[in-house]
Order: sequence, then C-alpha cells, then structure tokens
Amino acid sequence: MHPIFALLRKDLLNFLRNRAGVSLTFAVPFAMIYLFGQIFGVNRKDTGPVGIPFAVVNASSNPAAAKLLEALKGEKSFRVITDTAAPGDARRPLTEADLRLLMQAPGAPFRFALVIPDDVISASEFGLHLKFLSNPRSEIETQTVNGLLQKTIFSHVPELIGESLQARAKGYLGDARLKGFNQRLATTISSTFGGDPAEIESRISAGDFGFGRLTAPTKAAPDPTLRRLDPPDPAPPPAKSSGMADVFSKLVRIDSEQVVGANVKSPAATALVGGWAIQFLLFALTASATGMFRERDAGIFQRLLSAPVTRAHILWSKFLYGVILGLVQLVVLFTASSSFYGIEILPHLGRLALVCIFAAGACTSFGMLIAAIAPNAEAANGLATFCIMLMSCLGGAWFPITLMPVFIQQFSKLTLIYWSMEGFSAVLWAGQSVVQILPILGILAGITASVMAIAVWRFNRGRIFD
Amino acid sequence: MLQLHSVTKCYGALTALDSVSLEIARGEFFGLLGPNGAGKSTLMSLVAGLRAPEAGTLTLEGRALTAGDITGRRALGLVPQHIALYQDLTAEQNLRIFGELYGLRGADLRTRIAEALEAVQLTDRRGEPVKRYSGGMQRRLNLVAALLHRPSLLLCDEPTVGVDPQSRNAIFEYLERLNREGLSVIYSTHYMEEATRLCSRIGIIDHGRIHALGTLDELLMRLPFEEEIRFPVTPTTAPLAARLGELGEIATEDSVHRFRPRPDVKLSAFFALTESFGLPPRLFTSQRPTLEGVFLHLTGRKLRE
Repeated sequence: MHPIFALLRKDLLNFLRNRAGVSLTFAVPFAMIYLFGQIFGVNRKDTGPVGIPFAVVNASSNPAAAKLLEALKGEKSFRVITDTAAPGDARRPLTEADLRLLMQAPGAPFRFALVIPDDVISASEFGLHLKFLSNPRSEIETQTVNGLLQKTIFSHVPELIGESLQARAKGYLGDARLKGFNQRLATTISSTFGGDPAEIESRISAGDFGFGRLTAPTKAAPDPTLRRLDPPDPAPPPAKSSGMADVFSKLVRIDSEQVVGANVKSPAATALVGGWAIQFLLFALTASATGMFRERDAGIFQRLLSAPVTRAHILWSKFLYGVILGLVQLVVLFTASSSFYGIEILPHLGRLALVCIFAAGACTSFGMLIAAIAPNAEAANGLATFCIMLMSCLGGAWFPITLMPVFIQQFSKLTLIYWSMEGFSAVLWAGQSVVQILPILGILAGITASVMAIAVWRFNRGRIFD
Repeated sequence: MLQLHSVTKCYGALTALDSVSLEIARGEFFGLLGPNGAGKSTLMSLVAGLRAPEAGTLTLEGRALTAGDITGRRALGLVPQHIALYQDLTAEQNLRIFGELYGLRGADLRTRIAEALEAVQLTDRRGEPVKRYSGGMQRRLNLVAALLHRPSLLLCDEPTVGVDPQSRNAIFEYLERLNREGLSVIYSTHYMEEATRLCSRIGIIDHGRIHALGTLDELLMRLPFEEEIRFPVTPTTAPLAARLGELGEIATEDSVHRFRPRPDVKLSAFFALTESFGLPPRLFTSQRPTLEGVFLHLTGRKLRE
C-alpha cells in the first residue's frame, strides 16, 4: 500500500477508536445548527423574536391608546407587562416611575418599556407622541425592539396616525373648515377612485387614511432622539429625505430615554466585553484544568500523594490557581479594553474585581468538572469546546438572549456565562453597588460550590489520582 | 521497621496482591523481583499510602500506615516509575517544591537542595529546565527529589527504566552509599542483575504472591542443582540429550539444550558420557545458577515473559 494511504488509514483508525472525538465531531455541529436554527426561527412560519418582555404604561384616556396597547399585547414578539406587584398578593398598574425603578433594579424583569402619554395625540403637534425607555444590552437588540414597536403601530393602529392628523388639522382650521375640507377630499376621492363619498368622509374624519395598507420600512428608521450604542459621529451627515422612512419618522415621534447606562462612555465595547472575556476565561481555565491529565500521566500525583499531601490539597491548589489565573486574565482583558476602546473600569474597580473573582471561580469549577468527568485530555478538550460554545450561545455572549425563543431562554439562566455577563453589566453598564450585585455574586458562588462538589465527588471516584 | 501482614489488594476481579506478609529490617536493601504485572507497583503504592488494602495491615516503625494518614508519610520517600518532575521548571525549582511539601524551609532547604544536586552531579545545570536534561539526568533528579526530607525508608519503583548504563551505575552507587549510611530501601525491579548487585535480601513476587524470600545465596540454594550445562541442539548431540534425563533435568529451548545435573551427579560422570558419544568439550558451556533460574524454577516462567 502506498505510504500515504497507509498513514491515512492509520489516522482514520485512530479517529474511530477515539469514541469521545467521534461523538463530539458530530454532536457539536448538530447542537450548534439546532441552536442557530432556533434562534433565527428557521423552521417557524413567522420568523423573528418571540416574547420580549416589554412594559407599557398607558397614561392616556384616548380610546386609541387602549387600542395601541391591545395591538402590542397581540404582537407575538412582545410579552407585554402592564402591572406590578402590590402589597399582599394584589397587583397594580405600572407607572412611569415604576418603569425607571424596575429597569434600574438588579435582575430587571424587562429592559424595554413604552409610555403612552396623556398627549399621545395632541392638537398642537403633528403625529403620534410616545415615550420609549430602554436599558439596552446591544445595538441590535434596541433596533429590533424599536423596529417591532414601529411595525406594530403601523400594522395595527394606522387610524391613530390619521386621528392625529385630524386633531392637528382641527387645531389649524377649526371644526367647520375641517369638516368642509374632509367633505371635499371625500368627494374628490369618490369621483376619482369610486366609492360612497359619505362613507369616505366618515372614515377620513375617524382618521382612517388607509395607512394600514402602506408597507412599513423593513428596517426601522433610526430615531434621531434614540441614543445609539455607538459613539456619535463627530459631524453626522444631514438626514436625507428617504421617502417612506422619512414619512414614518414624521408621523410617529418617539422620545427615547436610555434609563440605564446613559453615561457609559463606550457603550458597544462595554456591552460586548463581558461575554468575550468570560469565553476566553473558560477556554484558558479548562486548558489549565485538563493539565491534570499530564500530571497524572507523568506520575506527579503519585509523588505528591506519597508526601504529606492529600487529594483535597491538590484540588484546592488547582482551584486557587484557576481563580488567580482567571483574575489576572480578566484584569489584563479589561485593561486592554480600557486602553483600546475607552471602557471605564477605574470608577468600578473594586466591584469589577469582585465579579471577576466570582466569575473566575465559576469558570475554574467548570474546568475542573470537565477534567473530572473526561477520561483523558483529548476527550476533555473536545467536551470543553462543545460546552463552552453551547454556553456562550445560550448565555448571550453571541446574541442577545431576548432574540431567542422563550424555551431556549429558560436554559440561559442555567449557564455561568449568563450570570457572569450579568455581573459585568451590573457593574460596568448599570454602575450598581456591591449590595445590588450581591444576588449575582451569590448565584455565581452557588454555581461554583455545586459544580465543585460534583467535580470533587467525581475526582474521588475516578482514576485521575491512581 | 516495616511489616506487612496478610495484605490483599484487588482491582475489581483481579487480585493484585494476595495475602502478602513481609518484614523489612532497618538498614536493609530489600529487592522486590518480579515481571511486569506481578504486583510490585501495587505493593509499593500500598506502602506509600496511595491505595488502601482490602485486607491486612501495614505498619511502619510500629505505626499503622493508612491511606488517610499523611503524617506517617514523612518517614517515606517514593521514587516513582515515571519521571515525576515538572518538566518546564528547573531542577532547583522542582526540588524546592518537593522539599516544601515536607515542611522544609529557608536555609535548611537551600542546603539540602545544594547537597542533593551535588550528589547527583547536577549542580552545574541546576538552573536549566528539566526537559532539557538527558534521560539519565532526569532519573537522577527523580531519585534525589524523594530524598530531600531524609526519609528512613526509600521506595524505588523500577527507578532505572530506560536509563543508559553509565547513569544506571551512578544511581546504583548513590543508592549503595545511602544504604551504607543507614537508609532502608525497597527496590522493585524486573532486572535480576539489579537485584543481584544491590539487594541484601530479595523477595520474588508473581501473580500477587511472594514465592520466595531470602538473601541471594538462600534463594539460589532453592535450586535443585548447582550448575547448568548448555550445548547446542544438533543431530550429533541428540543421543546425548536423550540419555541425560537419567542424570538430571534436561530442557530444550531456542536451539540450546540445558542440562541441570542432580546434586549427587559428578561432572566427571557427565563428561565421561559426552566422550562416549564422541562430542568434544568445546561444545559445552557451564553456568552458575542465577535469580532468573530461581524465578523460572519457582514460577515456571521467565522474568520478562
């Protein structure tokens, strides 16, 4: 046999004998393809996000506002929240003040909210007036929510806009002249396109100009008042009149307010850095933990355990090493991010260090669990890669979890990546205090303790110390 | 000094040690001779506290040795079969780590490290990473790493595997010197030459059982012959081989006849017989009995099978 084919056969045989390698080769792509498909709604008839928590306060007595609220409730992309817990088991309607408080609180139940103000339709202004509050985690998330909101308005309640036009015209023209204008407009439409002029006039008076038959722009027009996550250009180009998009932006005026993180200097980098940092950390600490196989193979554990050293000593030293290594890596990463992208770390140094320590602990325990359950270093590396990719995807390091299907979101909170990112966001984005981040630290500590307990149990039952 | 009483160790269905009893005296150089898989490393690991026996007791200087008792391990030093060193660290850093594990600190530790490196002639290369050392140098360092804390009993688990003759000799000389200074040693090997050279007493182990125990001479006395005479397998030697069964034990292997005469048979009678077949004396070689022969006699198989 030609040497190339003989060597090729050898590689194939080696691969097939490595059961862990074979299963990971197929399991990783399958899992990733499934997750990506779920996230992007490949198999769903109507793609797009589902169930984004979205709080709405309706401060208007206008019946059209109630109609807007109902339209939002009917939009599958949103899970509309209108009330909050009251003393006892009762619930009460949310207020605008509640929105701000809840959005700033640790573990906020929603990060986007809409206020339908009393002057949603005003005689003194053209178009609808709404207030949009946000605590965005990424630009894509904000744009998606904003776009969905506009789509809902234009798809479901076009008469709101018509009504607004009528109110505005009434302010300029007065009742009698507006009625005459509507009659003449109805007559013209009737004579040109057909139809009953009385019915047309009635619909025009009710605000139905047929906006519902217009197509909303596929990409939401960025609202000039919306605070973008990227730093603004020093000299933004003058807005072009872009047909439909321009019309829509004039018809709906949305006052945007970023409730949390408005003062963050480098929002995009600050939102991203936590997820990437924790991924790198997981890879580094897993590699470090799987180094235990090399020590076992070299007989070093035999030497250590014949000295006045116990297995617990070895495992604790590995754990502390992991935490220190993780801490150093995170410090270097955040320092680099601060230098390159202007992320502010100095004002949050103490709290950031706390989150780093707890996140490093959780990542170390994960690495040790992998080392405890894998039969050898190769299997450990494969398993670690699979788990880290899966956790990164589920935990929100790659995409905002609000864009994922609700049932997948349930798994996000089981990942240490999610809670580590929550910790980094709480400190760097929301500027929360030590007391406020305690629940997140507690969860990370709980993850560390439980994962370490399983790892130690497995180490004691396994053969790594034999 | 060390007593093992009816020690049994199993791995699942496999009995690695089967009711082994053994006593090692202070200052003794005890050899554990057996092929791979005989139970040598298991016995070592039980003494070192790496594993616990299913049955039996181990005591060191009157104190029970258990897997959980780390205090008793201070009296022991283990030289593992593998080169159990941190390859990226220097010799000095390795020794410092292992010394600190036994509670050595400061000037005392520095002095012992210097002495250890001097003893194995690695002083000049103390600052180099271990991975740059030759196999023999690594083996020497592997040995002294177990001696820094001055144990009273040294456990050497096949410490010369893969070592060149020169380094092997250096290790032997160092161990012999330490033994003369009072260190007790248990030395496991499957090389009879090592056991013959080093050990004051030898235990022959196979299939988890000690088959024989004694000094080299005592073990050789167990053979029912004093000499082994070898001659080639040829058509002319075949008639002789057929007759030799009357005078002792004859075996044929690898084209060689091995004849072990009964103790009462004189060599003159043997050579008289060879002359009668017209075979010249140069065809025959004589060999003293060896541990290999003892092992074969006791277990029915060779040491390296």
